[in-house]
Amino acid sequence: MTGNVASVLQPAGPTSTLIAELSWVLIAGSAVVFLIVMAVLAWALVGNTGRALRGPRQSMALIVGGGVAFPAIVLSALLVYTTIRTTAATKPGVTGTIVNVNGHMWWWQVRYRDPAGGPDIALANEIHMPTNRVVTIGLTSADVIHSFWVPALAGKVDTVPGRVYQLHLEATAPGVYRGECAEFCGVQHTRMAFHVVVHEPAEYERWLTAQSMPAPIPTGAEASAGQAVFVRERCAACHTIRGLTGQAEAGPDLTHVGSRLFLAGGDTRTDAAGFARWVANTQHIKPGALMPEYQRLDAASLGALAAFLAQLK
Amino acid sequence: MTPAKSAGALPNSLPRPDGELAALERAWQPPRGWRLLSAVNNTRIGVFYIGTSLLFFVLAGVLGLLIRAQLALPENHLLSPAFYNQVFTMHGTVMMFLFAVPIVEAIAVYLLPAMLGARDLPFPRLSAYAFWAYAAGGLAFFCTIFFAASPDGGWFMYPPLTSGEYSPGIGADWWLLGIGFIEISAIAGAIELIIGILFTRAPGMTLGRMPIFAWAMLVVAAMIVLAFPAVIAGTTLLELERAFGWPFFNPRLGGDPLLWQHLFWFFGHPDVYIIFLPAAGLVSMMVPTLARTPIVGYRAIVLGLVTVGFFSFALWAHHMFTAGLGTLAAMFVSAASLAVALPTAMQVFAWLATLARGRLRITGASLFLLGFFFIFVFGGLTGVMVAVLPFDWQVHDTYFIVAHLHYVLIGGMVFPVFAALYHWMPVVNGQGLSEAWAKWIFGLMFAGFNLAFFPMHISGLLGMPRRVHTYDAGTGLEIWNLASSVGAAVLAAGVVLFLIDAVRTWSRRPIEHANPWNGGTLEWLPAHDYGVRSIPQIASRDPLWEQPSLAAEVEAGRHWLPGTVTGGRETLVTSPRRALPMHLLVLTGDSWLPFGAGLGTAAFFLLLTVKMMGIATLFGVIALAAMLRWLWQTDRPPRQATAEVADGVFLDVGAAGTRSHSWWATLILVVVDLTIFASFVFAHLHVSMRGDSCPPVGARLANDEAIVVSAALWIASSTLVWLASRWRLGDAGRQRVLHALVIVGALALGLGAATIEWGAHAAAGLAPARDGWSATVAMLVAWQLFHAVVLALMAAFLVARISSGLLGPRSRATLDNVALFWHASVLQVLIGCGVVQLLPRLLT
Amino acid sequence: MTTVIAAALSATLTGCSAAVPPAIEANAERGAGLLAQYQCGRCHRIPGIVASPGTLASNLESFGRRSYIAGRIPNEDAALVRWIMDPAAVAPGTLMPDLGVNAADARDMTAYLRRLR
Repeated sequence: MTGNVASVLQPAGPTSTLIAELSWVLIAGSAVVFLIVMAVLAWALVGNTGRALRGPRQSMALIVGGGVAFPAIVLSALLVYTTIRTTAATKPGVTGTIVNVNGHMWWWQVRYRDPAGGPDIALANEIHMPTNRVVTIGLTSADVIHSFWVPALAGKVDTVPGRVYQLHLEATAPGVYRGECAEFCGVQHTRMAFHVVVHEPAEYERWLTAQSMPAPIPTGAEASAGQAVFVRERCAACHTIRGLTGQAEAGPDLTHVGSRLFLAGGDTRTDAAGFARWVANTQHIKPGALMPEYQRLDAASLGALAAFLAQLK
Repeated sequence: MTPAKSAGALPNSLPRPDGELAALERAWQPPRGWRLLSAVNNTRIGVFYIGTSLLFFVLAGVLGLLIRAQLALPENHLLSPAFYNQVFTMHGTVMMFLFAVPIVEAIAVYLLPAMLGARDLPFPRLSAYAFWAYAAGGLAFFCTIFFAASPDGGWFMYPPLTSGEYSPGIGADWWLLGIGFIEISAIAGAIELIIGILFTRAPGMTLGRMPIFAWAMLVVAAMIVLAFPAVIAGTTLLELERAFGWPFFNPRLGGDPLLWQHLFWFFGHPDVYIIFLPAAGLVSMMVPTLARTPIVGYRAIVLGLVTVGFFSFALWAHHMFTAGLGTLAAMFVSAASLAVALPTAMQVFAWLATLARGRLRITGASLFLLGFFFIFVFGGLTGVMVAVLPFDWQVHDTYFIVAHLHYVLIGGMVFPVFAALYHWMPVVNGQGLSEAWAKWIFGLMFAGFNLAFFPMHISGLLGMPRRVHTYDAGTGLEIWNLASSVGAAVLAAGVVLFLIDAVRTWSRRPIEHANPWNGGTLEWLPAHDYGVRSIPQIASRDPLWEQPSLAAEVEAGRHWLPGTVTGGRETLVTSPRRALPMHLLVLTGDSWLPFGAGLGTAAFFLLLTVKMMGIATLFGVIALAAMLRWLWQTDRPPRQATAEVADGVFLDVGAAGTRSHSWWATLILVVVDLTIFASFVFAHLHVSMRGDSCPPVGARLANDEAIVVSAALWIASSTLVWLASRWRLGDAGRQRVLHALVIVGALALGLGAATIEWGAHAAAGLAPARDGWSATVAMLVAWQLFHAVVLALMAAFLVARISSGLLGPRSRATLDNVALFWHASVLQVLIGCGVVQLLPRLLT
Repeated sequence: MTTVIAAALSATLTGCSAAVPPAIEANAERGAGLLAQYQCGRCHRIPGIVASPGTLASNLESFGRRSYIAGRIPNEDAALVRWIMDPAAVAPGTLMPDLGVNAADARDMTAYLRRLR
């Protein structure tokens, strides 16, 4: 299990903190109102109420008081409070970095602009950002409607094909925060987890620079053999490795896949064992995923390929 | 007309003539054995309807148990992801479309006429037809799960996931064609309920004395009429996209996935109030009876019902808060969603005031009512929570919403329905459900429900999205999911016990029912196959409390219409507001035609789904033939012009023109038709606004002149029909031929107009599969062509009526209703053509 | 047994370098899954296959009734399998990429495409 924070009530950014505060107000308020109504019910059932509600005027007072005035006052106050807080939550703040996220069945394509002006940096299922800076996520979808949701940082925004939406993320402390796809999108909707990795700003810059480099040349016999397997099995038909292959769009970019936390929207680690397990058992781990299963590979080839991928850091 | 009655005098005097009761019994005699399938009496159809709905409740409940079994443990492999998606889609679809709306309509079909003092619903064959179509279609639809061929796109079926590209199998088509026509069933029921509530109440039952359940069903029926057409329209568009590639929702070709969401939720939000308000109405009937005091705040409750019904149409976008509609619009919807809590709160406090004024006796029913209060109020409060935008941005599409929806639907509808089953079972066959078992059943259901669904609030807040087939270990979700699964099993145990008791009770020999809870409303009068012996004259909201001798008087035949005048089935039509007796309504009797037509309709749509076009057409023709034969038997001149319904009181038998109940039913049907049309116009506007240019590159508008000529021909056609409707009827020979020719002429003009319009679009190169704009234009044209075909059928039928001499001054409903539909169709053509031709000019 | 002999015979008779035993049991259901996994739908519209909106290459509707693959090769099982495994070897200059499909997978995909009538 990824074991990372994914709760609405454990916020890690200003927006989610605001929403968490709102949530507690709503929870507490609803609990109080519920108890009041249940108390009135109890009073109505067992109290000696015959005298209290003798006439129509007293009854109407209860109906108008409890059914109209009380909710009107409470809801008006709630409306004012939430309007103020909503406008605070949607204030764009200082926008700096723009990250493009494109939802696929069943993975998230993530693109950064190269600060040095080179080709775009593409990765999958992982977003990195610095602390205390607003990052604007541009959201769309390549196929069906998905929904981008990192509970620890913000509310969710649907990714609709044909439309581009914006979401502002800001985190206050470094950490790894889990995200989910929150709109039913087919057979592997469940396995579309992604992670937002928050760094100190200097560390983030280092990460971005490293990502903008082309793939490292494999060192060692096994990794070199693995690169040959990659070419032989035509993995490049779907997966890009900048510096090694041409541009392919069908599957996640693998240029620095070894530096990512997890594979395939699930909880497989990006070490050699994880790669081997994934490539050989794709359809068993994620049945229906749009990638073939490579059971045909002998143990040596599989090991070499896994070693090659694991060293793509 | 009704002469003034001297105060205290009952409509009819004793002794009643010999044979009057026997004739009444004969007229209403139910068919025996397997012929019971041809029954149309609302008491029979109502029981079938309630039973079938409960069957779907159980079937969908089993699917729910499968879901909980799969989710009880993390990383479970009980169900494959693909099959799990079918299971939850069917759970939602069957619960919402085959149980939730039908059960409340079914209870209304069974109980309302009795509550209103009517002998039956005004269109008995129509309700029989609606039931059989629903039963056959629903059961066939459910069976798809046994073949793993069910839809798997969620009950809400969002494209592009449910379009042909991403759901290539037959599952989505089962939903679109299977559920599509069941919506027609619901609309038929709604039309019937509106007419029944407005036109067939007992004399003296003014609107202000009507049982609150009748108010609730009136509001709900009106909501069905305005909401269901939107999903019918959406369903049509999606099926056309899947079958013919018309890209309404495909963004690559100028369509928009959000169009579906607007159409679906414009139906979907009122749908949940369509489900809740009848239950609220039932609560408003049970609480006063069981608290042994008249309802407090009748007017407040009625105002609450109407307000909720009205406002519910403004809230659909709160299901789309994360779909990118713009924060300002969303804030308005959020405010409205908060506001709708007020009329509901008013009803809750009226019930509390009634309970306070009275003294609740504890029965099986009242236990479920208490459960309702607890669960529904809780669910309403989480509803207020999710109306708050930022909170919804976090919890939308998580298990928090699953919790909320089950609290309001199970708390707000299932518990009141169970209460109603306990409360009114004596009316069904005189026997009551076991009060001893009730405590256990309630305990299991209440505890099981809360154990099942309360933890979902927590798992949602912990980050568990909806519609996931499993979750990882170590996320903290395990304990809450396990608790939910255990709770679901406990809830199911309660339901099973209830079913055992229900079957046991229902299979006992029927006896005369007494009034075990001392209810004050008319359904507690002694009842038989013919309903009440005589239709009571009432003067208050709780007639059995205010007029203690009412039951005896009614049974003795002292009130209105104690027998049968024509020898057949009849009831009284009274004026909508003040319930003054207007005329005698002759009702149709038992028949195999609705059964055949219902099965034929179901078969037609289901066979279309599997693309067996030939056999499908055959069944469609059979269904149509049955309907035409059944229509042919109606609208006959009555054997006698007037009937004595009380001492010295003679009423017309039947009525013509706008006093005919069938004219009003046609008017409601026209509203449905116009609302479907309006949905297609909305689709056209929405898609047009999304494009860069209108018409888009590569598409052309039809030639204006041709469209104007077509419109003019339609107007001429309408004029001829208007002329025909002013014709003096009853003459023979040449006059009839001339009359028929006018109709034929009107049809010729209409068909000519349709041909010209279609030709103009074809000449402009209309290619519906090329882009979304063209598809919506083609949809509007196709809708008009569909109407042309319907009008052709109607015209042929009308000509046949004229030629056979059946059209007369006292049997002119066919003419009046066809004319009404004709004019409405022409109105649609004019608006449709206008919008398509003028919109591009407005946008540039 | 007969199958193996037939396979051996046909392999000998064809004398092809890419030995493709034609008569071994092929699984059309698995083939449908494979067509989705290799994302053939990105280019081809294939009835019954998820995520196949493809408009860049031919629509494979009724492929089972077609006389030719890629317009020039007779549409037989063995030829189709070879085509899927290595399009450029069969029709040089074709735009269809080599996706690294092995023989077993190609057979199953062929079995599914055969069914499209």
